[in-house]
Amino acid sequence: MHIDFYYLAVTTVTLASIYGLLAVGISIIWSSLGMINMAHGFTFAVSGYGAWLVAQNISTNGVVVLAGGVLTGMLSGAVIGGLAFVPLYDKPNFAVRSLIATLAIALFGSQCLLWAFGPRVKALPPIFPTGGFKFGTASVSYDRLGAIVCSIVLLLAMLAWMKRSRRGLEIRAMMQNPEGAALVGVGLRSTAIAVMMVTGGLAGLAAVLLSRTYFVSPFAGAIPLVKGIIVALAGGLGSLAGALIAAALLGLVEALTAVGLGGRFVLITQFLVIIIILLIRPRGIAGMLERTRE
Amino acid sequence: MSEVLRIENLSAGYDALGVLHNIDFTVQAGERIGIIGLNGHGKSTLLRAIAGLTGWQSGSIKLNGVEIGGVRSQGPGRFTHQIVRRGLALMPQGDALFHGLTVADHLDSGAYTRRAWRERMRRRERMLEVFPPLAKLLSVPVGRLSGGERRMVSLARGLMADASLLLIDEPSLGLAPKISKGLIEALMRIDLGSGAMVIAEQNLSRLEGAMTRLVTLHAGKLKGGAAANMGLLGGHH
Repeated sequence: MHIDFYYLAVTTVTLASIYGLLAVGISIIWSSLGMINMAHGFTFAVSGYGAWLVAQNISTNGVVVLAGGVLTGMLSGAVIGGLAFVPLYDKPNFAVRSLIATLAIALFGSQCLLWAFGPRVKALPPIFPTGGFKFGTASVSYDRLGAIVCSIVLLLAMLAWMKRSRRGLEIRAMMQNPEGAALVGVGLRSTAIAVMMVTGGLAGLAAVLLSRTYFVSPFAGAIPLVKGIIVALAGGLGSLAGALIAAALLGLVEALTAVGLGGRFVLITQFLVIIIILLIRPRGIAGMLERTRE
Repeated sequence: MSEVLRIENLSAGYDALGVLHNIDFTVQAGERIGIIGLNGHGKSTLLRAIAGLTGWQSGSIKLNGVEIGGVRSQGPGRFTHQIVRRGLALMPQGDALFHGLTVADHLDSGAYTRRAWRERMRRRERMLEVFPPLAKLLSVPVGRLSGGERRMVSLARGLMADASLLLIDEPSLGLAPKISKGLIEALMRIDLGSGAMVIAEQNLSRLEGAMTRLVTLHAGKLKGGAAANMGLLGGHH
């Protein structure tokens, strides 16, 4: 069997960067807020509609559409945080309650989208110029290159912000020990909303970048949510480095499967790989490197 | 003298369990108070109640004249950060550190007031004078430190901002006698200014002579209030 390594590399990097956007978001939310955000996929879907509305009413310029998606994602994240975290976080069994709350938001929100926009998928205008170039034997469209560059730049910017800024320090403190963070004056509610906005923005970015694969539709977030969660799990919930490594690994698995076996086997091989990872390292790839919540 | 803390008729606990019963307790500026009591008699709960970290509480707690009592929280503390910003520093049992963050990150995170944040490099230097062993460890994640070093980080983090009330829960717990002696001596050297310090300890001998006042906490009730140099409490042990 002949495998085109250039094509494989390009596909892996594309998938890895987009899974990274979602998985890092889910992972940060889990470790800082202590909740599995089942509405992350809803944020993804609603951001697509935000971008679509911007394209319809304001401008079809790529940057404007992208900004519309990211801003909608941030807003959606803040709303989810306000509904699912703020009223519940100091109640018993918060992990389960917030899981149910975010699931409810996801179901309710998706139905609202269906009711407001109908079941037909929408297409976003092209964000990047058409055309492309040759990378070895593989042809790379500007669309793909743009998706890769955008996600990597935004991920790096966010990691640098987490590392350098004061708010980032507060978030990292909250990720490690919420009570300790409260004891040094970190407002858990406002920090949580900040986390939800940043991760929502990342999901919004992913939604616009992926709009050529997962068209804008009320339930477009389901598959990205599943993939984001399994990547975050495989990486070790709470570890950003682990999430990125897992994103690269699962991107590679998906690319290899698509090339070697066919696209319909992708979920099977991905889940197999994750089951194997979790059998060997129950706390994920990085679960042993970093101490995470619980 | 001005009052830093006034607690009136405080009862507190977790779920159906009442730990503290009708406690009255005042702390004046400049005081160093030792709370002595056995395990499970409510020392930690008293300190946690002041920080708004108990499941329920009734009665009044005034910090610098502002009411901060009556808080319920089953999680990480709904109002704790607001109480902390009013001038409380609690160094809890178990230290509540951020294991993956470096010592320098901890000191920065402790400097949460605007002024402390601006002066954080200078304040860091001051903390390294109080706890010299930390100087070499600034870029080391706290998870890799020894128990004594962690306790120092917890204390230094709590001292970075201008807290008027320092609550320290068992500073010597789990440490070798020599190390804990050094830590308590370091705590005694800290200039309280117009603030005050409350240390909870099981072991009376660690605090004797160093504090302005000792009180005992027995079965959730406070006793005593005698000046420590009278040796009153020492006679019972």
